[in-house]
Amino acid sequence: MSENTTASTSPGVPVEDPTPFGWLTTADHKRTGRLFIICSLLFLVLGAVFDLLVRLDLTSATDFVSLGADSFAQGFAFSREALTLLFLIPVFLGLSMYMVPLQIGASNLAFPRAATASFWTWQISAIVLIGAYLGNGGPYGGWANGVDLHLLALSGLVVALLLGAISVATTIMTMRSPGLYMDETPPFTWSSLVSASMLIVSLPVLLGQIAILYIDHRYGRVFLLGNYGIWERIDWIHRTPQLFIYVVPVLGVAAEVVLAAARRRVFEPLAMYFTIGLVGLFGFGAWTNFAITGEGADIIDGFEGVVLVALYGGALLGTVGLLGLLGLAVIQNRKLPKLSTSLVAVFGAGTLVLVGAFVGLLGAAGDWLEIAGRGNDGNPQLRMTTWVTGQQSVLIYGAGLLGLLAALHWWAPKIWGRQLNELLGLLNFLVIGAGALLAFIGPTLSGLLTEQPDFVYADPSATAIYSGWVDDSGAAGLSSIGAAGVAILIAGVALLLLNLFVSVGLKKGAQATDDPWGAQSPEWMLPSPPPMGEPEELPMLTSGTPLLDSAEAEAEAEEVPV
Amino acid sequence: MSDTTPTLASGQAQRPRAQLVATGFACAATSMMMAGALGFYMARRHASGPHPGHDWLDGLAVPNPQFDYALLTLVASMVTAHWALWASRRRDTAHAWTAIATTLILGLGFINMVMYSLNRMGLEIGAGEYQNLAFATTGLALAVVVIGLLYLGLMGLRSLGGSVGQQGSTAFGAAVFFWDFAALVWAVTWYTVYVVK
Repeated sequence: MSENTTASTSPGVPVEDPTPFGWLTTADHKRTGRLFIICSLLFLVLGAVFDLLVRLDLTSATDFVSLGADSFAQGFAFSREALTLLFLIPVFLGLSMYMVPLQIGASNLAFPRAATASFWTWQISAIVLIGAYLGNGGPYGGWANGVDLHLLALSGLVVALLLGAISVATTIMTMRSPGLYMDETPPFTWSSLVSASMLIVSLPVLLGQIAILYIDHRYGRVFLLGNYGIWERIDWIHRTPQLFIYVVPVLGVAAEVVLAAARRRVFEPLAMYFTIGLVGLFGFGAWTNFAITGEGADIIDGFEGVVLVALYGGALLGTVGLLGLLGLAVIQNRKLPKLSTSLVAVFGAGTLVLVGAFVGLLGAAGDWLEIAGRGNDGNPQLRMTTWVTGQQSVLIYGAGLLGLLAALHWWAPKIWGRQLNELLGLLNFLVIGAGALLAFIGPTLSGLLTEQPDFVYADPSATAIYSGWVDDSGAAGLSSIGAAGVAILIAGVALLLLNLFVSVGLKKGAQATDDPWGAQSPEWMLPSPPPMGEPEELPMLTSGTPLLDSAEAEAEAEEVPV
Repeated sequence: MSDTTPTLASGQAQRPRAQLVATGFACAATSMMMAGALGFYMARRHASGPHPGHDWLDGLAVPNPQFDYALLTLVASMVTAHWALWASRRRDTAHAWTAIATTLILGLGFINMVMYSLNRMGLEIGAGEYQNLAFATTGLALAVVVIGLLYLGLMGLRSLGGSVGQQGSTAFGAAVFFWDFAALVWAVTWYTVYVVK
C-alpha cells in the first residue's frame, strides 16, 4: 500500500506508528477508513458465496442442491447479515471516516480512538458471528449456546457501527473548517451525515430487541418458539425500507462524480441536500418488524400499507429529484462529460436506487390495494415472497456495489495515491451491473409470478425447503437466473479485488496527481495520498467547491480586458 | 495544497462542543434502543391479553413505595449533578467535589434500591413472559443508569483534576446531560413496566 510516511511535527499532533502494530492502535482516520473498506470487501465475498449457495438451493422446491436441510436456514440468515452488517454499512462508514475530515478541512475525526475501537469491535464481533454459525448456532441453529452467541455478536456489531456513525456525525457537526457552513458541505459529507444520523436512530432499535430475545432464549424460551422466533424479529434490518439508509452515501458519491464531470455547481444546493435527506428519512424501517411478526398487527392494521407506500414514495421522490438535479447540471454544461468508470458506475447505481424504490412502491401499493387478489384468500402479499430478495439484490448488489466501484475509482488517488485501471474498471462495471440485474430479476419475477415465499415465511422445520407451496409455475427457472446473477457478481467482486491488488498492491496503477479528475471538493487540494497522521496545516474553507471557485475566478480574470 | 488557499494551524479549527454533540447522538441512540425494547414489551403484552382470568404479572406484586423512593433518589441526584456543574463552572472546587460525591452516592443508592425492590417483588428470570420482558427492559434501563454514573464520575474527576473552567465544564456538562437523560430513561421504563404494567 502506497503511503506517504511524513509525520507531522506540530506540537500536540500525534505521530503515527508506521509498523503493523500502528494499524492496531492507530488514531488516524485514514488508516481506520482503509481497514473498514478492505475488510468489508472480504466479507462481501463471503456473504455473496453463501447467497449463491442459498439461491442454488432455491432452484429446486423439493431438494437441497448445495447447503442441505441442516444448514440451509443458517446459510440464508448468514448471507443476509454478511451483506448488510459486514459489508454495506461498514464499507460506506469506512469511506466516510476516510473522506469526511478531508472534505471539511478537519485534522481528524472528532473521536479517532472511538473510530478505531469501532473497527476492532466490529471485526471481533464479525469473527464471533462467523464462529457462532460454524458451531451450528445463529437463527435456526441447533446449538443453544451458539444461538445466544450469535445474538451477542450481533449486538457487538450494532454497537461498533453505532460508535463509528456517532464519530462521523459528530465530526461533521462540530469540526468543519470555520466558514464552511452546513449548506456548503460537499454532497458526500452531507450524505454521510444523513446516513450516520439515520443509523443512529434506527440500529439501536435492534439492540433493544436483541436484549429481550437473548433473555428469553437463554432463560426459559417463554414466548420464542425454540429459536424460530428470532429471525423474523431481526430481519427488518436487511429489508427495505431500511436498506435505503445504507445506500444514501451512494447518492453523495453520484453527486460528487457527476458535478465534477459536468464542471458545474448543482442548480439548487438546498434542493440537493433535501432530496438526499428525503431518501434517508423515508428509509426508517425500524417499525416494520411488527408487520412481519404480527405482534401488534391489529394496532397498525389499516395504515401499515399506506405508511409503506408513503415511505417508498418518499424515497422514490428523493432519488428522482437528485438525479434530475444532476441531469440538469450535465445539460447546463452543453457537452457530454468524459466517460470514466466512476461516471458510468454512478449512473448505474443511481438508476438502480431508482429501480429499488420504484419496485418497492409497486409492491407496497399492490399489497395495500390487494391487486391481483394478494392478501386475500391465503394468497401471500408480495412482501412475503422473494420479491423482497429482488429488492435486496438491486439495492445491495446494484446500488451499493456499483456505488462502491465508483467511489473506489474516484477516490483511489486520495486513498492509495494510485489510479485504478480504467479498462478493468469498465469491464468491472459491466460484470457487476449484469450480475446485479440478473440477481434482481430472477427473484422479483419469481415472487410476482409464482408466489415463491421469502424464506422467513416458510416452515424451517420442514424437510423440504418450503411446506405448503408447490412450484408449478417455473420458480426453479427464475431462481436459476438469480443464482447465475450472484455467480457473475462474485466474479465482478474478484475483478475489483484484482484491480486493487494490481493497481495499488503491485503499484501498477498510475501515480496520481493532487487532482486527477479536475474535481471540485476540498480533498483534491491535498496531496495524493495525504500524509499519514494529522496535517500540520489545514485549509481555511469558505465553500464546498474551492477548486471550482478558483477556476471560475481565474477565468473571470482572463476575460477582463487589460 | 494550493498556495493561494488560506490555511489554519492543525487543531485550530476544532470546536469545543464535540463531546456534547456526541453525547446528544448517544442519547438519541439510547432513546431508540429503549423504544425498541419497550415497544417489544408492549406488543407482547397486547398479543398476550387481556382476556378473562389472564394475569399478566403472574401474581407478582409491585412494591410501589420502594420504586417511588428509588425514583425520588434519582431526581435528587439530578439536582446534585447540576449543583456540581454550577460549582465547576465557577471554579468552586470544594462545592464541586461535594456535589459530585453526593451525586455518585445517590446514584449507587438508587441502584441498590431498585435491586432491593426487584428482590422483594420476587422477579425471577425465566419464570414467565412478564418476568423475562421486565428483566430485559429493566436491565437495559439500569445499564443506561450505570453508564451514566460512570460517565459522570469520570468526567467529574477529569473536570476537577486540572481542567476546571469553561472547557472542562463543557465535558462535565455533557456527562450531566447524559445523567438527566438516564433518569428520564428510568422514569419511562418504570412507568411502562411497573405502573402501567
